[in-house]
Amino acid sequence: MTAQMFFIGFFGLASVWFGIVVFRTFSMVRSALALLFSQTALGAMFLSMQAEFLGVLQIMMMATEMSIMAIFMVMFMMDPGGLGEMDMTHQKRLSLGAGIVAFVAAVAVAVFVDWGPIADVAPDAAQQTVDLGLELLGRSMLIFETAGITILTAMIAATAVAIPPVKRKPSKGATHHEH
Amino acid sequence: MSIELLLALITGAALFGVGIYGALSQTNLVMIMMGVELILAGAMVNLLAFWRYLHPDNPAGQMFVLIIMTVMAIEMAVGFGVAIARFRAKGSVEMEEATELKG
Repeated sequence: MTAQMFFIGFFGLASVWFGIVVFRTFSMVRSALALLFSQTALGAMFLSMQAEFLGVLQIMMMATEMSIMAIFMVMFMMDPGGLGEMDMTHQKRLSLGAGIVAFVAAVAVAVFVDWGPIADVAPDAAQQTVDLGLELLGRSMLIFETAGITILTAMIAATAVAIPPVKRKPSKGATHHEH
Repeated sequence: MSIELLLALITGAALFGVGIYGALSQTNLVMIMMGVELILAGAMVNLLAFWRYLHPDNPAGQMFVLIIMTVMAIEMAVGFGVAIARFRAKGSVEMEEATELKG
């Protein structure tokens, strides 16, 4: 067993375990933190797979995202600490069945498909970053720019949806003319 | 087949399965979003594993991972926008109560 294999397995297991913990705890804040750990383990798995840039990016992005999610949990939940042990699930058996079927189907595809020759060596971190930069500003520039504009649009749309509606009172001098 | 690739694909499959369970079983909007995040994380692991073990010389594989990260960020932004609007209108983000559009 190589060190790479060990770390991929270890961080993969940690990621899945924390993913399961997200839906097993009553505390919503703990759920958000478990998701943070799951995504961080995923970032560590990326680092084990020699994708240094994406690994670090994943950890940084998810740390911010999940912290915001924890804050939202405290804002919106009736019982963010989970002290009341409220059950907030429905159609549990159907969901469990769907999850297991999806897992088994994906594993079957992973095991039975012939993926072709395996590459042993990946470019080093500096070369990867150079290649990705050239890809982003070359062949994939349109996709990259579209993604940026989509994020901007989503941010503006989300803010517009979240702003409370303003009720304007008609000014005193204004009169209504009906024709 | 390389064991590392298989491990990564199994991890992706497990995250996908857990995410499907979460998205279908939870009644709270923010918890449903967590399930969707896990589904996207599963897709991301697969894409990165395919890049690393099948085509490490082609950076387009990493580009796909960046696109998934963008989708995750957009999902969070829009989801929280909807959550705030729903909370302001109804005082809760429980999706079992959201039956206004039910036919």
